[in-house]
Amino acid sequence: MKLALTGNPNSGKTTLFNAITGNIEKVGNWAGVTINKKEGNVKGDLNKTSENIVAVDLPGAYSMSPFTSEENITSDFVRNENPDVIINIVDATNISRSLFFTTQLLELDIPVVIALNKSDLNQKKENTIDIKKLSNKLGCPVIETISTSNNNNGLQSLIEKVIEVKGKKQTTPFSLKKVNMSDSKSVEKLDIDRFEFVKKIVATVENRKIHSNKQTKQDTVDRILANKLLGIPIFAIVMWLVFSISQTYVGPVIADILVNWIDGFYGVVEGLLGENVSPILSALLLDGIIGGVGAVVGFLPLIMVLFFLLALLEDCGYMGRVAVIMDRFFKRVGLSGKSIIPMVIGTGCAIPGVMATRTIKNERQRRTTAMLTPFMPCGAKLPVIALFAGVFFNGAGWVGTSMYFLAIGIIIVGSLIIVRITGQKNARSFFIMELPEYRFPSIKRAIISMFSRAKAFIIKAGTIILLCNVTVQIMQTFNWKFHVIAEGAENTSILATIASPFAFVLIPLGFGVWQLASAALTGFIAKENVIGTLAVVYSITNFIDTEELTLISGSTDVANTMGLTSVAALSYLVFNLFTPPCFAAIGAMNSELENKKWFWGGIGFQMAMGYVLAFFTYQIGTLITTRAFGVGFIPGAILVSVIIGYIFYLMHKGEEKAQNTIAYNA
Amino acid sequence: MENIISRNKMIDPLKIKFKSDNKINLSEGQINREYIVKEIRTNDYELKKFLFSLGCYEGEQVTIISVLSDNYVIIIKDARYSIDKNLAEVIMV
Repeated sequence: MKLALTGNPNSGKTTLFNAITGNIEKVGNWAGVTINKKEGNVKGDLNKTSENIVAVDLPGAYSMSPFTSEENITSDFVRNENPDVIINIVDATNISRSLFFTTQLLELDIPVVIALNKSDLNQKKENTIDIKKLSNKLGCPVIETISTSNNNNGLQSLIEKVIEVKGKKQTTPFSLKKVNMSDSKSVEKLDIDRFEFVKKIVATVENRKIHSNKQTKQDTVDRILANKLLGIPIFAIVMWLVFSISQTYVGPVIADILVNWIDGFYGVVEGLLGENVSPILSALLLDGIIGGVGAVVGFLPLIMVLFFLLALLEDCGYMGRVAVIMDRFFKRVGLSGKSIIPMVIGTGCAIPGVMATRTIKNERQRRTTAMLTPFMPCGAKLPVIALFAGVFFNGAGWVGTSMYFLAIGIIIVGSLIIVRITGQKNARSFFIMELPEYRFPSIKRAIISMFSRAKAFIIKAGTIILLCNVTVQIMQTFNWKFHVIAEGAENTSILATIASPFAFVLIPLGFGVWQLASAALTGFIAKENVIGTLAVVYSITNFIDTEELTLISGSTDVANTMGLTSVAALSYLVFNLFTPPCFAAIGAMNSELENKKWFWGGIGFQMAMGYVLAFFTYQIGTLITTRAFGVGFIPGAILVSVIIGYIFYLMHKGEEKAQNTIAYNA
Repeated sequence: MENIISRNKMIDPLKIKFKSDNKINLSEGQINREYIVKEIRTNDYELKKFLFSLGCYEGEQVTIISVLSDNYVIIIKDARYSIDKNLAEVIMV
């Protein structure tokens, strides 16, 4: 049988879904976390029957008449896929709004069971709801649930009720007058009647101790956290804490242990292979597999700690407030305050970040955010930053920090450009966001989020990255005739001949050698690959030291092997961070942008941004350090001027469009 | 595209027409005072419908709880929302 989970946004559908199925779908404490329907089987200990129950978690909706694309998914599913039973999750703290949607669900002739969720919060506020009366008035069973709790959560009785009502008819408590559904006036009248009906029910069943329009502690906290002056510094401190804990304090400590293990493993395998093993096999196994994959896995703890902290942040209700404080700034550059949420999530991984843009209703703001979110350095780019900071800048903290600031700068400039290209500089948009109640973040959920991330990371390291490193190793060991290349003739290898044309274009950026070009190319498969490939092509088997994030083999050695000046290294880092993201994130962009023009425009924009920034970093940096421009300045300058010129041309065209729109409206 | 352009019209002709009546918009309201919504003054039908599904329509109560970073925290039914000035100006009380 099929079971649909519906309800208002942030009523706790996904938490309930996870609790009854044992799945670990992403939850957060703001409206609109779930954007696609998800299916799962109800756990055996809750489902006592032999029949399999498939639960479908749907995105939140306020009404059956859809306003957003997620709401569309919900009403389409309920109307077309004939679920056997609907569980309507109702936020017990706000039944006066939630029951509006309930009355619509009751008209579908599918049995409805109400899960009166967050009933613990209601108890805390000393509000009471007469369950029996509510159930009578609505004509459907009502079960109190606390889906965040492990026991006494009402889920057992909820599932029992579901099994009991299956196949029964659903009565409608609200007598539907025959109205002409195509006439908007009479539909409006019907909806007003519906709210009146809900009001009457609420008046008889609910007893509130404190009227909700009185100031509460939450409002006091809001006044500090979302304060006009304090809001931004507080947000900056919070983010600084997240990054310094994950990257400077806790993360590296665990990373040390892991790196020691990898070292040990390397030694053991080396010993096992012995002296007489073929050099190709030993290179493949030691440098290609253990070296390449090990270099990536060494950074796993940093990413795990980062995800743990981000999960705490998402869970406590703070993100909604951040959207509020950022709105007035983001509005100025043509984005919405909600754009900050994808960007914060994007510091973990760009894929969920890009997907989180769906809560933004304005199409241009949503697409712009989806296009710019990947500029935020994600967890996979962290190892790249840490490596370059370690090798070329003695692990200086400013390298990482400045990359985040640069990302923010790019996003601001990017959105200013895009709003002009689209010709909507003067467009008026609205911001509305439900402020969820603060709650103590769940450690359990944060741990789950951390381990599911770690699992994905390890799988990636063991499959894609392993495969890439092996391929890279083979491609640089052989030439096109599949002969092992002679020492000193490395540039005849397959890898070198493939990467050389790309390297040529990169000369004005300061790193026009095939080794670096091939590492940047593999970075599109996964950004961690940059490290893995560098480890392989330069045969550096261990990147991180047991103390701090410097190199075990001595950072100067590695720097010499790579033959880069620090300026060129910085340029290479900038290039890797701010060109298009990995293919998986590009895929996410494609599905969110829903438009080929936007998609290719986005990729082109990211490509251009990475190239132009790396060019300026290298050429200006070289000018400062050596008092002369770097190699390939003139051809590079021509290319960069063409790119910038083209962007200005597009902006000019957009401005004209904006002028015409004003003329049209006036 | 058409949709956005029409939705984001800069000059709202209705706004000029009704300027002299005794309604004020929510951005001019006082904190902690309960108001009754008199009109949702916009020609953006979808926005109107969305506000309706939250319970924000003619005859309903709305309270401003605070002003945070140029945004207004308002209470409709039993929920708190943060809205910007543009939206507050649409809600006439």
